[in-house]
Amino acid sequence: MDDDTKRIITINHGPQQTKFVSNRISTSKYSILSFLPKFLFEQFRKYSNIFFLCIAVLQQIPGVSPTGRYTTAVPLSIILCCAAIKEIIEDVKRHFQDGAVNKRRVLIYRSGNWLYTTWQRVKVGDIVKVLDNEFFPADLVLLSSGEPHSICYIQTSNLDGETNLKVRQGLPQTAHMISSVQLRDLLGVIECELPNRNLYDFAGTLKLNNVAFPIPLGSDQILLRGSQLKNTAWIYGLVIYSGHDTKLMMNSSSVPFKRTNVEQVTNSQILFLLVLLLILCLFSTIAGEIWNYRNKAAHWYLGLTRLTDDKTANSIPNHFGYTFLTFFILFNNLIPISLQITIDLVKFIQAYFINWDIDMYDPETDTPASARTSNLNEELGQVKYIFSDKTGTLTKNVMIFKQCTISGIMYGSGNVAEFNSYELLKNLEYHTSSKQIREFLTLLATCHTVVPENKLNTDSFNDVAYQASSPDEYALVTAVKEMGVVFFRRTPDSVVISFRGQEETYEILNVLEFSSERKRMSVIVRSPNNEIKLYCKGADSVIMERLVADEPNVPLTMEHLESFAKDGLRTLCLAYRTLTDQEYKEWLVRHREASTAINNRNELVAEVAERIERNLILLGATGIEDKLQDQVPDSLSMLLKAGIKIWVLTGDKKETAVNIGYSCKLLSDQLLNLTLDEATLDDTQRQLREHCQTFGDSLRKENLASLIIEGKTLKYALSPSCRQDFLDLAISCKTVICCRVSPKQKAEVVELVKQSTNEITLAVGDGANDVGMIQTAHVGVGIMGREGVQAACASDYTIGQFRFLTKLLFVHGVWSYRRLCKVLLYSFYKNICLYVMELWFAFHNGFSGQILFERWTIAIYNVLFTAAPPMALGLLDRCCSAETMMRFPAIYKMSQNRSDFNIKVFWSWCLNAVYHSIILYFMSYAMLRHDVAYSNGQAGDYLLLGNMIYTYVIFVVCLKAGLESDSWTMLTHIAIWGSIASWFVFFIIYSNIWPTIPLAPEMRGMAKYVFSSMYFWFGLILIPITALLADFIYNCLQRTLYKTLMQEVQEKEVANQDPYDLVMARQTSTVSRVAERLALLKSVFVRTRTPKMSGIIPGPYHGFAFSQEEDGVVPQNQLIRTYDTNIQKPPGL
Amino acid sequence: MSTPAENEADNEHQKSKKPADTAFKQQRLPAWQPIITANTALPVFLAIGLIFIPIGIVLVVTSERVLEFDLDYTDTNCMSLNVSNTTCADVLAQANYTGASCTCQKSFTLDKDFEGDVYFYYGLVNYYQNHRRYVRSRDDNQLLGKKDAVSSDCQPFQKSVNGTDITPCGAIANSKFNDSLVLSMNGNISVPLLRTGIAWSTDKAVKFKNPDNPQNWFATNPRPPNWQQDAWHLDTNLTDDNNGYQNEDFIVWMRTAAMPTFRKLYRKLSLTESTTFQNGLPKGTYVLTITYNYPVTSFSGRKQFIISTTSWMGGKNPFLGWAYITVGIICMITFVVFLVLHKTWKTDDPLAYQMRSMQMNQRTAAGYN
Repeated sequence: MDDDTKRIITINHGPQQTKFVSNRISTSKYSILSFLPKFLFEQFRKYSNIFFLCIAVLQQIPGVSPTGRYTTAVPLSIILCCAAIKEIIEDVKRHFQDGAVNKRRVLIYRSGNWLYTTWQRVKVGDIVKVLDNEFFPADLVLLSSGEPHSICYIQTSNLDGETNLKVRQGLPQTAHMISSVQLRDLLGVIECELPNRNLYDFAGTLKLNNVAFPIPLGSDQILLRGSQLKNTAWIYGLVIYSGHDTKLMMNSSSVPFKRTNVEQVTNSQILFLLVLLLILCLFSTIAGEIWNYRNKAAHWYLGLTRLTDDKTANSIPNHFGYTFLTFFILFNNLIPISLQITIDLVKFIQAYFINWDIDMYDPETDTPASARTSNLNEELGQVKYIFSDKTGTLTKNVMIFKQCTISGIMYGSGNVAEFNSYELLKNLEYHTSSKQIREFLTLLATCHTVVPENKLNTDSFNDVAYQASSPDEYALVTAVKEMGVVFFRRTPDSVVISFRGQEETYEILNVLEFSSERKRMSVIVRSPNNEIKLYCKGADSVIMERLVADEPNVPLTMEHLESFAKDGLRTLCLAYRTLTDQEYKEWLVRHREASTAINNRNELVAEVAERIERNLILLGATGIEDKLQDQVPDSLSMLLKAGIKIWVLTGDKKETAVNIGYSCKLLSDQLLNLTLDEATLDDTQRQLREHCQTFGDSLRKENLASLIIEGKTLKYALSPSCRQDFLDLAISCKTVICCRVSPKQKAEVVELVKQSTNEITLAVGDGANDVGMIQTAHVGVGIMGREGVQAACASDYTIGQFRFLTKLLFVHGVWSYRRLCKVLLYSFYKNICLYVMELWFAFHNGFSGQILFERWTIAIYNVLFTAAPPMALGLLDRCCSAETMMRFPAIYKMSQNRSDFNIKVFWSWCLNAVYHSIILYFMSYAMLRHDVAYSNGQAGDYLLLGNMIYTYVIFVVCLKAGLESDSWTMLTHIAIWGSIASWFVFFIIYSNIWPTIPLAPEMRGMAKYVFSSMYFWFGLILIPITALLADFIYNCLQRTLYKTLMQEVQEKEVANQDPYDLVMARQTSTVSRVAERLALLKSVFVRTRTPKMSGIIPGPYHGFAFSQEEDGVVPQNQLIRTYDTNIQKPPGL
Repeated sequence: MSTPAENEADNEHQKSKKPADTAFKQQRLPAWQPIITANTALPVFLAIGLIFIPIGIVLVVTSERVLEFDLDYTDTNCMSLNVSNTTCADVLAQANYTGASCTCQKSFTLDKDFEGDVYFYYGLVNYYQNHRRYVRSRDDNQLLGKKDAVSSDCQPFQKSVNGTDITPCGAIANSKFNDSLVLSMNGNISVPLLRTGIAWSTDKAVKFKNPDNPQNWFATNPRPPNWQQDAWHLDTNLTDDNNGYQNEDFIVWMRTAAMPTFRKLYRKLSLTESTTFQNGLPKGTYVLTITYNYPVTSFSGRKQFIISTTSWMGGKNPFLGWAYITVGIICMITFVVFLVLHKTWKTDDPLAYQMRSMQMNQRTAAGYN
């Protein structure tokens, strides 16, 4: 048996022989059972947790720990509990999302009955019925459909990003199964390959019991999960791969763990700090040993000699290693134990702020923004490259007929949302060009591959719906329908239209198909008055050269085309010619010959078509708007202003992509537009070299240039020999557009930039074809569109509209970054400030490892007394209002440059902490040097000093958080003053529990004695102020002398002034410099331009773009011929 | 089985996806934004300077008013009365620290009247009461009067040779300071001293409790090896309240000092016992009779006898006062520097800048709106 290499599925034969994966999908991390082990494993993969676990274990060795046995274990478990709660909340969310998908309903045919069931219950071998606009619940083999010849249309934009619909066709042997009766008789076996991630290939065979030989199955019969049924009433499909075996799920590998830049810097600094800690421990140990060696015997009262002599009792070990451990435990908190959880919590809530943002709520689709992972928030503030998908992300994938030009007269306006046909119809009646207008409209109604679908009453023309695999044609046919020229019936050899109420039948004689080489499509029709006409539509470049010699309207039409293109419309030129019977007959003979040729059929047909598509008469041109998502051009220009480079990676054709580039204002005549469209590796290499050399000094700098590259050229450009040149060239451009790129290439491009520039990349997309790049980029953003959730599921953030990206980056990104940096720095600061104190004290206690404070008070330092201020910094701090940040993208550059957190800043904070601890310790020491702290003559002890210092530390550390806050909200006040108060409350309670609770005998009475000392109160005023004085002065000087843009803007804002001119004043200089550079650059490029060099878009841009499936299962010609809309479709039950 | 009702419920559930428009969720909480520049911080520096300098002066004066007299009696200031020309320290050393006692007398003169409450301290120098092993070596449960087995923390003074628990156990208790210091005026009027009221009230009331039947308990259990008598005989006046664990000298000792140089309250002057001392310690000649038991020379320690009055702040310590004055002066200097900076800053660049921006404002106003 070769079961290992193929999958065998029986049809209608009860349960399957082999057990297959269920169709239930799960993207969640934990189940109830796996939670604990998996969670602990995850947690203890983090270095810091391992570190503290080790400390907790070391503390169990008797006599080693200076801080008791559980002072690390307890805070660590509190922290782990917090982390667990967070994980549970996040995972429950995922469970709900999975549940929503798993519980979608579908109609399945099981043991002779149709029944509704949920997706998760669908099994391999089931026959399902999917209705129009529904998603396929699993990978299916198409059996039959409601359309003729079991054709169906599917939208795969979710999988591969292509906009046009694709045609799939069931096998002829199963096509007749249009009711349950026939389905019941379907018996047989499907053999197919094992589940794999290849989206485009499929191999299998269908062995039917009533057919003698096995029938091959290919990718034309496969309907993949993730795609959607379109323009087809229903299909029957047989499930072959389910659940995680589907190609979609195989392709969406588990979300890779992304580590942020800040995290990396933090980790390396932690390692540094660890080394420092070890040095510190080593130093203290040696010092301690030396002290011991010298003084052990002399200081008889310590009983140290007696200790080592007494071997019988379980004596406390005392040698180098143990002393080292003692110090290690003593100083371990230099590395903040609560850092991880503080950051996690802060990020977690920051993510909620993103979810809660009402400005990022899309009311149309009812989608709020959603942060699926919380650990990348700060990366949003540092993005330098955005990789965007086109369809569904920048565009709505809706085409609208916007403008046209007929005989040199322009109709419609770019400013109005919909085409106004009044003028056109008026001219149709009375104008001299009325004949042309008539031909124009007729052409649009006849020359296409659209299929009408008449709803119940066939005579009401307004009810006609169209099925089109090309959205452009759909837009055109719909537009003429609105003008009263309704295409309403198609039979295999004719098209019936109603021309403003008058029914006309055009016999379709020939269809000359569209292809991207030909860039045009023609039909030859016999008109009702028995004329033979050729209608042709296509790119201006191909139409213009096929016109009759002295066409008068060419210049005007060209002008109009340019204006359409400038508005970002997709243009098509229309032309026609009348053929004589003789002419046609001669041509037809040749055509037949060509189309039956055995070799080079396609070339021959194209050549023959060429012969008749000439001497055309220009009718005009159309302008179709590829509707952009709301405010896309504005958002993009804001992103560009923020110094972000934008790359558009699309599966669409170059024309379409360029077109969108113009309509998004990414491309313009103000930019130097470079194109790379080379067919071989050598050409690509040469071209890249040339461009790079032309750039000269400005290579790898910001230039006002854009680059457009074809998918196949990109393949060569990504090869090792071209990689570097391509990268150099690409990052010299503001905008890069890559066309016809596969999902894998998208990921490769992102990977290339990510690897070699060390900048933060962000990928945004909406389809499954974007999953790769979304997962590769530092930050992946999914557009939660109306259709499909694949991209959203793989992404780190989902938003409803592209325009929300600006707020996500400019506000949430910048805020999160700045806040997180402060939290990080502050967390290190507060721990160093407290724990370095032990080192100073060690100088006074013979390096014995004695702690200055009570063990539990320092154990809960991080979890109670100083837990709130970092949260306040991390959640509430804001420098400027969201509105200001949105208005001035320039502010974004600050966080983009990572000025808030780098090695220098980190160590200056550490030194700051050391400085504070020196002030705190030595001032307090000097203050109590004579011990007598009371007017009744009584003296204190070490803990009295310790508790005073501890109180001062709490003050300094909390107030430092205040000093670093840019804004004090009510909650900030609560966090800071509350933390201080919490220490006092704790202190008072804790000083009174012994001996009622057998804890902390040394603390008994402390609060009373600390508070009754006047030294304490005078020190409380003096010492924290002294410690913070330097910081305060530094802040003053910095604000006065080296103000940052952000601070200036903030000042203006506080003073209720408009910071507009300020931001502008800072920018003008750079802008003018860039403009100069552009002029220079353009001149260089123009000078060196040779005829061979195709790098620059020649001449004015005319905006041709047209999408149509090429080389599909069913050729366009055949597609047209298969339909007869006079015949009722089967209901499929 | 299709249940349309369920779908409707689903739809209604989805209606509420729009985030709530609250100040917190939209991060629009009203906030105070302090902008600290040389300009705005001026009053702060001025205020700190103006407040701190007077406070400092008051504190320095207060500290200066405290009278203090130190007598280091470690060696030459304490010549043995029995063995001529030998310091008591040497006497102890010669006896190999096996409990030998030595008595000496030292006379000194007070130049000023020590008015009001007068306190007597013993001070130790280079004595590491803050050593980790030393600080640990005690059992607070035992000191509460519990008769349970003592904690191993007390090691190596946990158990005596025959295995019974030492009372009180631990290194701290074992090394209790046991010199006795007696003061007399002009060599004949003994200065009345109070042995109580020197320990923290909380310690006396809560932390240190004698076990039941203390006399018997302390007599039957082994005392710390360095002690010459058991805990019940710490106060020879035999006031039960000041014996055993509740002995205040013992309690004071058990509060381990923060620094290797420290002082501990030894006695208070009794103002009521004699009319001579009702206003404090008058100036004159005094003789200090020292029973020298406590060896410190092995670790080069020093022992001091200190007489001091207190202010409302406590003992003599001018540091805080001078620190206040220093910080106050720094603030005043900063104030002046910033004032200058502020003046120059104002006239130099920004005015021109403001003019420019105003012009730009006018020019761009139309375009901007």
